Amino acid sequence: MTDFLQNCIDGVMIGSSYALLALGFTIIFGVMRRLNLSFGPTIMLGAFGGAWLYLHFNINPWLVLLACIVFTVAAGVYVERLCFNAIKRNVAITSMVSSFVIWMQLEEIAIHILPDRTSPFPPLFASLSFEAGPFYVRSEYLFMFAVAVAAVFAVERILHRTWFGLRLRAVAEDPRAAAYMGINAGRVSVYAFVLVSVLGAVAGYLILAADQQVTPFFGLWATFKGLIAMMLGGMGSLPGAIIGGLLLGVIETQSLWYFGNEYKDLAAYLVLFLMLIARPGGIMGQRLVERRRLAFRRV
Amino acid sequence: MEFYFGLAQIIGIHVILGLSAYVLMLTGQLSLAQAGFFAIGAYSAGILTVLFQFHIVPALIIASLVAGLFAFLIGFPALRVRGLMLVVATIAFSEVVRLFFFNLSWRKTIDGIEAGPDSTNGFREIRFFAANGWEPYQVTLFVWLFVALVMFLIWWSDRARSGAVLRAVGEDELAAHSVGINITAVKVAAMTAGGMIAGIGGALYAHTATYVDHLTFTILLGTFAIAYPILGGLRSVFGTLLAVVLIQGVLVEGLRALGDWRNILFGVIIILTMNLKPGGLFDTQTVQALRKGLAFRDKGAPNA
Repeated sequence: MTDFLQNCIDGVMIGSSYALLALGFTIIFGVMRRLNLSFGPTIMLGAFGGAWLYLHFNINPWLVLLACIVFTVAAGVYVERLCFNAIKRNVAITSMVSSFVIWMQLEEIAIHILPDRTSPFPPLFASLSFEAGPFYVRSEYLFMFAVAVAAVFAVERILHRTWFGLRLRAVAEDPRAAAYMGINAGRVSVYAFVLVSVLGAVAGYLILAADQQVTPFFGLWATFKGLIAMMLGGMGSLPGAIIGGLLLGVIETQSLWYFGNEYKDLAAYLVLFLMLIARPGGIMGQRLVERRRLAFRRV
Repeated sequence: MEFYFGLAQIIGIHVILGLSAYVLMLTGQLSLAQAGFFAIGAYSAGILTVLFQFHIVPALIIASLVAGLFAFLIGFPALRVRGLMLVVATIAFSEVVRLFFFNLSWRKTIDGIEAGPDSTNGFREIRFFAANGWEPYQVTLFVWLFVALVMFLIWWSDRARSGAVLRAVGEDELAAHSVGINITAVKVAAMTAGGMIAGIGGALYAHTATYVDHLTFTILLGTFAIAYPILGGLRSVFGTLLAVVLIQGVLVEGLRALGDWRNILFGVIIILTMNLKPGGLFDTQTVQALRKGLAFRDKGAPNA
């Protein structure tokens, strides 16, 4: 029983990093109804930029975080211009495929920046681990969890309490009506990508600082974990992103403990597949799917 | 010369892979599971020829049926989701397949050599063509025989009622439903056909490459599979053929001289094509322009 609980704690700890990544996917999906597969690679590129500066100029970790954000935003805007703005809304699939093609490019650029397979990455604080009763907790992940929850509240506020959020939701609801109201959809979309990139860069920084190293595989890893967490939690639902991330973490640590490392990913994908079939909208996003199905039946 | 035969084989196999996604895309389903069916075909054909000493032709047929069976089983639950959720569900399925083969170890001693899938080390001993003394040109012909067969079948069924039914479901499900088309049957049939075609492609791939491992069947392969029909357009099977020749022949091989910068340029070219021609390279506009060009030369034609 203690093992099970310790696994749950570890899962929630790891899961908070997945939750942070899922937030970015959720915003882009919730707002634009599109899937940005190069979200992970943009974060990876940003992290490589930060790691490069750290390696060559040995700058302060806070400046590394800033550099990560700047580079990720630049990469995110590049992806937005090429894959999302230039391609019309009705061909969402095409922008997904092209965002995947961009992925190869970003990975190639990252390898050009830092040819080594792994590079060191500086943490903000020294690692603090403590024991609470019989359980073992790492402070980095606790911090990550706090940041994830804070990010949900911040994004919720931005979406529902600012003019930018209102415009964003208007474009999501009906792009043509939004255009009649004088909203520049292209600009809103760029701002959404900037917001998402900042979130993603912070998430990427925290995850990589906990590992203290960065590899080119991080892009793939981040995209997949974020995507699965978003789908589990619910399409386009912000609390769903957190729940999905934590659930994914718990599934992974439990299957790692009971079946072994080689079944960790298998279990995660299997749960995702079954979830999509049983409840296509995920835990929190079912309403959207139900509404669409009802509309189909009514006609 | 060897090189060009190898390239022709790769192009042929990718045409089959692209066509398997093409059939599904006609019904409006976008599936990244093609890489998974391709893997099932590759591994089952390899296991049949290596561990059970089958001839290549029955092995191909059985592999295709196995992949089709899985596609059939996937087809029913996949009906519940559509659009981007279908994409993610099929990614999940194809990763489950990949990780299953990543863990699969089935070693047997055949003719004094230990052979079979060896989990992380991959499946190395698929040497049917070499063991039976097939020349490269024979292998290439064999591959293109299947390419021609698959292309012909799809082209032919596209001109028959079945093609109209598939396209009707793809255009507007509700309208298709109201004229009495059984959407479930059409979608599952398309999924099964796609799986069978991908299975043939995988089986051919395993035997031409003589070596497969789980890294061959990542999401990248699935994306290539849907990129071909998207780039080629859904007007006809020749669009897919054209797209494969362009990507595999010109971009992947032709840009090899550029070394590391190839991937960067590759991405830009594909995205530019998608932006400039959203309906694919081989869309109605291009076809009309071609027709006009041909008709201009043929002055005697009455409706030119």
